[in-house]
Amino acid sequence: MATAPKEINQPAPEVLLRVENVTKIYDGTVKAVDDVSLTVNKGEIFALLGGSGCGKSTLLRMMAGFETPTKGKIHLAGQDITNLPPYQRPINMMFQSYALFPHLSVWENIAFGLKRDGMPKGQIAERVEKMLNLAQLGKFAQRKPHQLSGGQQQRVALVRSLAKRPQLLLLDEPLGALDKKLRETTQLELVNIIEEVGVTCVLVTHDQEEAMTMASRIAVMSEGYFLQVGEPDTVYEMPNSRKVADFIGNVNIFDGVIEEDEADHVTVRCPECVHYVGHGVSGHTGMEVGVALRPEKIMLSDKKPKGEYNWCQGEVIEIVYFGAHTTYHLKLDSGKVIKAQELNNTRDLSCGLTWGDRAYAHWNDLAMVVLAQ
Amino acid sequence: MSQATNNKIFSNLWMVVVYLFLYLPILTLVVYSFNDSKLISTWTHASLRWYEALIKDDDLISAVLLSLKIAGISALMSVFFGTFTAFALNRYKRFKGRTLLSSMASMPLVMPDVIVGLSLLLMIISVQHWLGFPDKGLFTILLGHALLGTAYATVVVTSRLREMDGRLDEAAMDLGCKPWQVFHLVTFPLLLPALVSAFLLTFTLSFDDVVLSSFLSGPGYSTMPMVIFSRARLGLNPTINAVATVTIVVVTCAVIASSFYTSHQARKRKREEAQAYSDSNK
Repeated sequence: MATAPKEINQPAPEVLLRVENVTKIYDGTVKAVDDVSLTVNKGEIFALLGGSGCGKSTLLRMMAGFETPTKGKIHLAGQDITNLPPYQRPINMMFQSYALFPHLSVWENIAFGLKRDGMPKGQIAERVEKMLNLAQLGKFAQRKPHQLSGGQQQRVALVRSLAKRPQLLLLDEPLGALDKKLRETTQLELVNIIEEVGVTCVLVTHDQEEAMTMASRIAVMSEGYFLQVGEPDTVYEMPNSRKVADFIGNVNIFDGVIEEDEADHVTVRCPECVHYVGHGVSGHTGMEVGVALRPEKIMLSDKKPKGEYNWCQGEVIEIVYFGAHTTYHLKLDSGKVIKAQELNNTRDLSCGLTWGDRAYAHWNDLAMVVLAQ
Repeated sequence: MSQATNNKIFSNLWMVVVYLFLYLPILTLVVYSFNDSKLISTWTHASLRWYEALIKDDDLISAVLLSLKIAGISALMSVFFGTFTAFALNRYKRFKGRTLLSSMASMPLVMPDVIVGLSLLLMIISVQHWLGFPDKGLFTILLGHALLGTAYATVVVTSRLREMDGRLDEAAMDLGCKPWQVFHLVTFPLLLPALVSAFLLTFTLSFDDVVLSSFLSGPGYSTMPMVIFSRARLGLNPTINAVATVTIVVVTCAVIASSFYTSHQARKRKREEAQAYSDSNK
């Protein structure tokens, strides 16, 4: 999720895909996609992230041409493609189920799209060869899809959709069908191949890790519209709403009221504690807000922290060991349960806490995000 | 004796009983086709006498040929119409009268043949009365068999279409196929096994149908089952045993060959999948 440092005087990025106020209504009543606009720049990997039924797949299918928008326009490289059928769009898609043709060999699967374009035979062979090398599948060219493992099938699906050199590549839950162990390696392979070809990508996923590791920008979707669009670290560290904070990763949310509103800091009084936030927010005194705090930003100790802000006390009611880190569930005196994540950086349990212990949770003044109600 | 051995003895015994029930009559028929006696129930000694008689029996031979012809043509018609119906029901989820079509398409499966035959006969008679055609004969039998066969073919093709990944069509379109190319390059090749089995099923249905044919045939168009049936009423002639045996042998060979082929394919596929798995773990 590292992003390149921003250069000064960077040339304006070239817009490849422009979605303008697209709405999709099914059966006259169900709004699957609700007035969505977005632009995807050339060379970008853009992720549509959301739970099932949030409209992300419908949006992708409208880009591919399998659905037509009820309202709105889709432009690709300046051309209006809203009503073009899929076979006339310079867009290819990799399907979640891969949709490899079971009756054709790997070679024929990759050549399938090229043949439809009437490309000369010599060129087809050359292109397929290149694609097989890209996916490191050279020796499997004559196999049928069922003779390949899941990871290999996935690479065939990817290079099949790249073979026609589409201007835009669509990925539908690219890693959805793989088991967890294969995911990590495959994810990197996928990104490497995509970057080698330099194709612009829109991917759909419900898995926030997948979106964060693969994409340069993420749109978080819910109920047919975008909650937030931004770079992975922005969306994670600066969510603009409770829904986003909740959807991306784990979060503790404290409800409170702004007590002090200054240019360089605010304090928020909650039933459990008082938050001192070390930067100004757009709000006013007396406003009801939520304070979002990620578990990994909370530190635990058995000693009472100094000062009156940014700590609370509770009882350890659950300890979940993950190997690399441990999550402690702390029941505060108000009855609220918060999660705190401690890194296991030594081989004995890091802070020696156990079930039933009283513990103090504390955090620094830039750890939290203040969200409007 | 333990419970397990008891169970085993019982299940073996049961198997023998079921096999006897199913195949003893057929076996008897085959054995008696080699009987020299003119009486169907008394065994004298083995001979090929009735097979000779069969070759010379022009009526029976031409009935067999007619049956084959009707079965072949009506099976083709059934598969053709059945495929279209199955497509309409599976690929186009919303159109007016869909529910009606889906229940009407399978109606002939449950409707007694006698009723179907009788109603077809009445319809054909009145159509003929108004228009002057069709005359009862080859065409009307084909019509009846195709009607029944279409229902069966629809069921077979539908089940295959249902388990086919609809994304394959989309993938084909995505890669540049126009709709007719999708059918020609992807759907049809994948559907072929189902079309073959639908053909075999409807062929068999037509080949042994006696009820519909009796209603719909005209003079000079007697199918094999009709001839056998009418001769049986006059007193069975052992030639029938001979023609039945020939049919059984042909069918048995076809069934054995096809099941060998299928199990061979399944084994091959399993081996290849295992190979793929072990390759990827290297």
